[in-house]
Amino acid sequence: MRDPYLWDGSGAPDPEVERLERLLREFRSDRAAPEMRMEARPRWRAVAAAAAAVALAVAVAGGGGGAPEGWQVARAGAGRSRLAVGQTLETGAGGHATMNVGRIGIVEVEANSRLRLESARAGEQRMALEYGLIHAFILAPPRSFVVDTPSAVATDLGCFYTLEVDKDGSGLVSVQAGWVSFAHAGRESFIPAGAACLTRHGHGPGTPYREQAAPPLRAALQDFDFAGGGDGALNVVLAEATKDDAFTLWHLLTRAKPAQEPRVYDALAALVPPPAGVTREGILRGDRQMLGRWWDQLGLGQSGWWRGLETQWP
Amino acid sequence: MNASPVVSISDDAELARAARHGSRAAFGRLYDRYARMVHGILLARVPHGDVDDLVQDVFLSALRQLSALRDDGAFGGWLAMIARNRAHDYHRRAREWAELPEEIPAADRHTPDALAALEAIRALPEAYRETLMLRLVEGMTGDEIAARTGLTPASVRVNLHRGMKQLRQKLQCEERA
Repeated sequence: MRDPYLWDGSGAPDPEVERLERLLREFRSDRAAPEMRMEARPRWRAVAAAAAAVALAVAVAGGGGGAPEGWQVARAGAGRSRLAVGQTLETGAGGHATMNVGRIGIVEVEANSRLRLESARAGEQRMALEYGLIHAFILAPPRSFVVDTPSAVATDLGCFYTLEVDKDGSGLVSVQAGWVSFAHAGRESFIPAGAACLTRHGHGPGTPYREQAAPPLRAALQDFDFAGGGDGALNVVLAEATKDDAFTLWHLLTRAKPAQEPRVYDALAALVPPPAGVTREGILRGDRQMLGRWWDQLGLGQSGWWRGLETQWP
Repeated sequence: MNASPVVSISDDAELARAARHGSRAAFGRLYDRYARMVHGILLARVPHGDVDDLVQDVFLSALRQLSALRDDGAFGGWLAMIARNRAHDYHRRAREWAELPEEIPAADRHTPDALAALEAIRALPEAYRETLMLRLVEGMTGDEIAARTGLTPASVRVNLHRGMKQLRQKLQCEERA
């Protein structure tokens, strides 16, 4: 072909091709992460057969029998069934189930898990994970899929993630793609892909961290969040943090005690300098706009799209 | 257009293999890499207002069928086929339910010129319209289109060249009319 511009945009621009590119750009898919549609019309889909043998019991937990809303559940050797709102699903040892979350995604339920379906409405798919392990694959607008756990609420912001809850109510979310919000009592952690966040009964969500972060940082962070580690733990976190851990320090800006905040500011500023107009004084007094602008400097995407969604941010 | 991104089939095969073995991160990366291709294939076949919904249907369908993928190196072609089948299914179901207009102009936020250009491409033979959609709308290079869809670079060249020739003629006729 004698038209390199049509092939790959190199060479002298072809005016007609250029005009069409310009005109048609508005139809382009420019999304970098799974997103985003509102569920319009529930319809059940076939799901892939579950991989393992299953010991699964569906017990009516009250009020859901005959309800029109629910999720389809598939498990090997047991065919398909429907989990209605209010019903509980429990997998035994070696059990595994796959659930269709309306039209917006799939939740895989690992062995020894117990969950309850709380809502299956368009725009709000919600379940409570009492204990166990799930993998969620959600392709939906932010906050369409919510998982209540005993110590925090995991809200999907368009992503794939794994959530584990122990019988004592402790939890761990690990995000593989997109984002998850982990929140409790006005405290919210934003967890990007490649990061994780712990939660503890009575404490709520801890500070999110990179799964590849230095082990001393992770241990010190856990100490700081849940064991009253104080200055000693914070010093280790600040010393071990690299530029990739900047989002961890950003969260600490609003979690450290007032006397600790200046050190957090200095450590974060050394890794990612605040943008023009974002001042030390403003950050230390908790200026939300400045915190948002500094977040935007971290290279994790713009804060605007999720910042307005929760009043308790950050 | 930006410089052509590096397209590595072997990388994609590794990701497809990892996704098939349950890696959510790998599937997420495949989504990022292939969303434009799926979007373009659907845009060539269904009303643009429904494309975003169908993109997600295609990926969910792929996620559910991953265990059936026999050749990890053919992920792109396999996904493209799911997208084409989904578009076909869309029209089959639409016929079963009602005769609906292709577009609802009153609700459209796009400019008349952009819609006319889109319709002109959609009126071309299928192979040309899909390749042109990926090039002109999604901004993919010829190499990238070949790598993603599984077509040979020669086929992509032919589709682009002949498709663009027909598109020019069509647009000139419309302009004269």
